[in-house]
Amino acid sequence: MRILILGAGEVGFHLSRQLSEEGHDVVIIEQNRERVRAIEHAVDAMVVHGNAASLVTLEQAGIQRTDLLLAVTSLDEINLMACLSASQYEVPIKIARVSKPDYFDRSGILPPERLGVDRMINPERECAIETYQLLQSAAATEIAQFEGGRVQLIGLRVRPGAPVAGRTLAELGKERRRSRYLVAAIVRGGKTIVPRGADSIQDGDQIFVIGEPRHLPEILPDAGYTGFSLDRVVIAGGSREGLLLAQMLEEHRIGCTILESDRTRAVRLAETLNSSLVLHGDATDLDLLEMEGIGDADGFVAYTGSDETNLLSCLLAKNLGTPKVIAMIERMNYIPLVSRVGVDAAVSPRLATVNAILSYVRRGSVLSVATLKGTSAEAIEFDVASTYPHAGVPLSAVKLPAGSLIGAIIRGERVIIPQGSDAVRVGDRVIVFTLADDIAQVEALFA
Amino acid sequence: MPESRGRSSLGDITHVVAVILLATSVALTVCALGGILLRDGSVYPLAASAVIVAGVGGVGRYFTHVPDDLNHREGFATVSLAWTAVGIAGAIPYIASGAIASPIDALFESMSGFTTTGATILVDIETVAPGILLWRSLTQWLGGMGIIVLGIAVLPYLGVGGMQLFRAEVPGPTKDRLRPRIRETAKLLWMVYAGLTLLLVALFLIGGMSFFDAVNHALTTLPTGGFSTRNASMGAFPPFIHWVTVVFMYLAGINFALHYRALRAGWQPYWRDGEWRLYTTIIAAATLLVAVTTHVPGNSLEGTLRTAVFQVVSIVTTTGYGTADYVLWAPFAQISLFLLFFVGGMAGSTAGGPKVVRVLLILKHGFGEMRRYLHPRAILVTKLSGMPVPPEVMLNVFAFMILYVGLFGVGTLLMAGTGMTLASSAAAAATSISNVGPGFDQLGPTANYALVAGWGKLVMVVLMLVGRLEIYTVLLLFHPGLWKR
Repeated sequence: MRILILGAGEVGFHLSRQLSEEGHDVVIIEQNRERVRAIEHAVDAMVVHGNAASLVTLEQAGIQRTDLLLAVTSLDEINLMACLSASQYEVPIKIARVSKPDYFDRSGILPPERLGVDRMINPERECAIETYQLLQSAAATEIAQFEGGRVQLIGLRVRPGAPVAGRTLAELGKERRRSRYLVAAIVRGGKTIVPRGADSIQDGDQIFVIGEPRHLPEILPDAGYTGFSLDRVVIAGGSREGLLLAQMLEEHRIGCTILESDRTRAVRLAETLNSSLVLHGDATDLDLLEMEGIGDADGFVAYTGSDETNLLSCLLAKNLGTPKVIAMIERMNYIPLVSRVGVDAAVSPRLATVNAILSYVRRGSVLSVATLKGTSAEAIEFDVASTYPHAGVPLSAVKLPAGSLIGAIIRGERVIIPQGSDAVRVGDRVIVFTLADDIAQVEALFA
Repeated sequence: MPESRGRSSLGDITHVVAVILLATSVALTVCALGGILLRDGSVYPLAASAVIVAGVGGVGRYFTHVPDDLNHREGFATVSLAWTAVGIAGAIPYIASGAIASPIDALFESMSGFTTTGATILVDIETVAPGILLWRSLTQWLGGMGIIVLGIAVLPYLGVGGMQLFRAEVPGPTKDRLRPRIRETAKLLWMVYAGLTLLLVALFLIGGMSFFDAVNHALTTLPTGGFSTRNASMGAFPPFIHWVTVVFMYLAGINFALHYRALRAGWQPYWRDGEWRLYTTIIAAATLLVAVTTHVPGNSLEGTLRTAVFQVVSIVTTTGYGTADYVLWAPFAQISLFLLFFVGGMAGSTAGGPKVVRVLLILKHGFGEMRRYLHPRAILVTKLSGMPVPPEVMLNVFAFMILYVGLFGVGTLLMAGTGMTLASSAAAAATSISNVGPGFDQLGPTANYALVAGWGKLVMVVLMLVGRLEIYTVLLLFHPGLWKR
């Protein structure tokens, strides 16, 4: 597939590297000469220097032969303009990164298709939604949705003395209540295990659990989390993500305090938000954090523009006693560090964007992909093709690749959290967990 | 017309004032025609007044040019001077007909009419010629939505610089624009106003009023004026009329721009408006307080409730009709009503007073300041219906309330200087600046203002005008900066 990426920022860079490694022909348009040079060194891709919305540049980059356009510059207007031009060149799929909420039309007068966009992706919104879900499920370090939310995946850390600790998965599977969710991956000492029935759960493990959203909360007491309710959240940093998250919290009538160090921005926030309390101050100002009783809040989210500040203020909040702290991390290399230093979860608007775009690109039979942060595992959704050799055979009798596991089967309206006696049929949709090394084998099996 | 086209502020202002006077003479002519139908002899003084006013206006217009444009300073000066001129013009029929002998009394009655105050010096209203009473009611109707707004609506060339005039006359800290053109906005407001007036005439007729009474009371209800053709005010009419009047006083106290939006969009514009919610809450709460305090066991509940809601709505909307002599009530109920003098109706309505929106903004800001004690680093923004209120508007509101209370204090002092009791002096000052009508103590709803000393009446006339034009417009006349080039 020939893919044209507009903008070689962090998102464009990661997309181009990933897609190029997956064997696609990647062309990039970038305006900044420094970035052009940097990307030429790092990625096996053609780089065109110029304005991404210019027709001349687009033609130079071979827009006529492009199968997929990813408009991910930092300017919404350029992205939309480029998609509109690309639709004149009949590019089959156009994805635009759009940040300003003003361009998301809710009245239906100007749907994305009219702008030539097949999918609009708003990084800040994706990030805020993910943060909100993490806050909601107290213990979760990670949340991913499949099938429009019908199947959910959460990651959480098992507390010492939790009821499930020390027991094997086979034992847990025999209890009716505990068969409604499935442990799909265990991270122990930095190593990811896709478990079998004989594997057991230990204190301090990070586990990934899949199930229907209505049953998933049942895992929380099992993993040692009780008595948590989300009544007050503190957000450090009134970035666009912060504003979106505050609005979501307001909508759900959850108390929200938001810290912003820039006075003008703080006034803007206070004007836009209704019930939230906006404070003018620094996210790492310990006096301010103490004065405002951060320790009594149920959640703390660090959304400033700096990864270091976010990590530091999260640690301060954790130290003051906030049960749940979440940091926004821009640099993806930092993410594995997050849980090691004691921050409960990390979110990243760019990673959210890359994930959203990759899942769209890899479609065909692959529907949705979630990269589990801090692990080497991925969750991939497939429509089971007629070439699947074990159709109708109970799973206990099927030998899947060693590092993989079927987390859920979606059959029409039904969601099945499979046990050994269940079988996959052709036409089912399955969510498969797999270590990165085994992705190719798994794809070959189902697709 | 003189040939030179030199532009002068004074010429421009004079021209607009002259045109407004010509319009007033048209209104006088209409009344004179009414006088013919009423066959009470009032046609002669009314026609004579029309001629005099038209003469003065005609001369002023002849010697000046059509203004190219009015800047904001000229706008304020024009509105203040036009109101003064119209107030004087409106007094002429009272003198010419002999209904009121003293020029000061006539000016008081006229200004009380145009500013929709509704305070009267007439001891026996029912002996005055009906044609003159019609003029008295008409002054309120013209003053309610505003003579300048009417001028902008019907006189094409006032559209130029019209926004300056509109701003100076229409009450409230911020102005709604319904249409891109100020002239269209003015037209729509007058159409809603006239439509509601016609509807009320019909309802009054259904309620059994005579045609003459129905027209007069409709003309004084919609502007929240309060002039009646009866000595007993609304007390002379049956309960059905009282309920109808309560509803229309309530409607007249609502922002007319909201009515217009509601005509097109249903009830939602009301619900969404924070000022409307407070306005309605205040009326409901005050009615409850007054009803509980004034209920006499054995009396009908409907009667108590009707009397309570009528006086409350009449005072909040600054109409000033009465169906009960509240001076005889317990002090608690009286003070409840007196406090309402300092609330008034909604901005953009025909009601007087400081306006609910200013009270609302001050309450919200005060609450925010309390929050600042709890969170010293908080950024607090006062909002109205979800929109942030700019700091300069907040400061304007504070200054307005301080000036309002200050003028009330000075007014009370001056009124006390005429030898009245403390309560009467305070009531006279408050009722004038809030354009309510009745006062307290010696000046209750069944009394009249004939007993106030001559210069006390002049003080009240000034307070009425200052209150109607929301202080700044009039006080600016005395600011040296207004006259500097």
